[in-house]
Amino acid sequence: MRKRRRLRFDHHSQGLILNSLVDIALSLVLGFIVAIPLFFESGIFVNTPGVAKAGATQVSDIKVNIYLLDDGGILLNEELVTYERLEELLPELLARSVARKVIISTEPDVRYERVVHVLDLAKQNGAGELALLRSRR
Amino acid sequence: MKPMANIDILPMACVGLILVLAMMVLAPMIMTHTQTPVDVPRAHTAETKTEENLTITYTEDSRLFVNDVEILPEQLTDVIYQELEKDPYQLVVIRADKNVFHRDVLEILANVKKCGAKRIACATKNPKSE
Repeated sequence: MRKRRRLRFDHHSQGLILNSLVDIALSLVLGFIVAIPLFFESGIFVNTPGVAKAGATQVSDIKVNIYLLDDGGILLNEELVTYERLEELLPELLARSVARKVIISTEPDVRYERVVHVLDLAKQNGAGELALLRSRR
Repeated sequence: MKPMANIDILPMACVGLILVLAMMVLAPMIMTHTQTPVDVPRAHTAETKTEENLTITYTEDSRLFVNDVEILPEQLTDVIYQELEKDPYQLVVIRADKNVFHRDVLEILANVKKCGAKRIACATKNPKSE
């Protein structure tokens, strides 16, 4: 009787228990699925309308034209606003606009980061299309 | 009685999982070209698209890279044109440093557009990843 018990014990200790390893691997896969999008860069889709191609079609939609000044000022539809005021006004304007298009133009020495901040703000407030305007030389 | 031979599939499952992990990590690295260090601007609303793309990197010291290969500014149009000839619907990603002038980025954008790019995106980073 004693001998039989020992034999059974020996048989069980031979194999490696891999279940826990599989569990850990699965958890790692899940962890990676969640974490990977955070490590890679994302992007904002933009459009650059060609000045020469612009037609003379008449539209009565609400315009959202943002002009960034070198000194940090912002013109929203030719009216000087602060960044905080822009945050308030953008959702109102975009809610009334059909095309929800935001056109952004800048003075020559504006930093790229500021433009992306405004693009981001417009996107957050429901802009459908973002266009970066470039003055013709 | 002959003992039944059975295949232990657990090690195989482990190897499979490790391969999946390796693929998940490597695939975005192969498809995107983000080896050139650039401090891209932060944005909350940006969308992630992991697909084969044409990446134009513009560094703070005004150096230009296409798919992590440095080029001269005057070569940009030719290089993009060659790449977009294969597929004009290829996504063009502009990775510009946050401290560069916007007019320089616009110049690159205009060149890309001139070459016939249909889909253009500005690379950003999620603030949560910091």
